[in-house]
Amino acid sequence: MSETEQGTVPIDVEADIAVARRLVRDIAGEMGFGVTETTRIITAASELGRNVFKYAGKGVMHWRTLQKEDACGVELRFEDHGPGIADLDAAMREGHSTGGGLGMGLPGAKRLMDEMDIRTSVGEGTTVVVRKWRQR
Amino acid sequence: MNEGIAVLKVRDVLLVTMPADPDDATVSALQSRTLDAMEQHDVKALILDLSKVEILDSYFARTVAETARMVTLMGGETLIAGMRPSVAITATELNVTLGATRTVLTVDRALDLAGNLSRNKSVRKGRPWL
Repeated sequence: MSETEQGTVPIDVEADIAVARRLVRDIAGEMGFGVTETTRIITAASELGRNVFKYAGKGVMHWRTLQKEDACGVELRFEDHGPGIADLDAAMREGHSTGGGLGMGLPGAKRLMDEMDIRTSVGEGTTVVVRKWRQR
Repeated sequence: MNEGIAVLKVRDVLLVTMPADPDDATVSALQSRTLDAMEQHDVKALILDLSKVEILDSYFARTVAETARMVTLMGGETLIAGMRPSVAITATELNVTLGATRTVLTVDRALDLAGNLSRNKSVRKGRPWL
């Protein structure tokens, strides 16, 4: 994989969370991530995909491969047009949940990945981008 | 494609094996399938075999912990067996817990332990030593 590859997966129904997760597993495996790193990536994808489904009802996951001089990486971008996150600081705190979950989705996914960016606007939606790098 | 949950009765133990990457519907079926089988078969312990499982996210972990609590309410004991290293590492980093559920390395060890549990239970019920 020297060229950048990319794609989009819709998250419309609950079963799409697992579909997105399996695609991410194949991508990570193909890029040469080890078993534990791959498990971290697919677990983060599962948490973020579930957030999209749970809070916004539907959205998409865009994925692309990244290339740097000394590393390659995978980027996952979860986009929805749901209610947005009113209090992002609270959402990033452990154990905070407005959706009846355990409130570990965002902080948990952040710990499992190397980088996380969130853009959110109340009434407009949320975009969460995560990246994982593998040294060459 | 996704395979389902395998439920097997071994002596007085219920062995439930989860597939590698269960979708949400399969995870939620874990609870009802397990509790129904517990009632039907009059078993003393549930062994939840996670040795095939490649991903344990917060939803799956919460369902496992809740199922174990329900089994306790029904008078049974739950043993979680065979979690892979990569899954244990990730679950810890994600900060998910399985409550107070007992965990064992392999299904073999779980079966040994479950055998002891049921022997002890018969003793407590006042059955004669043999």
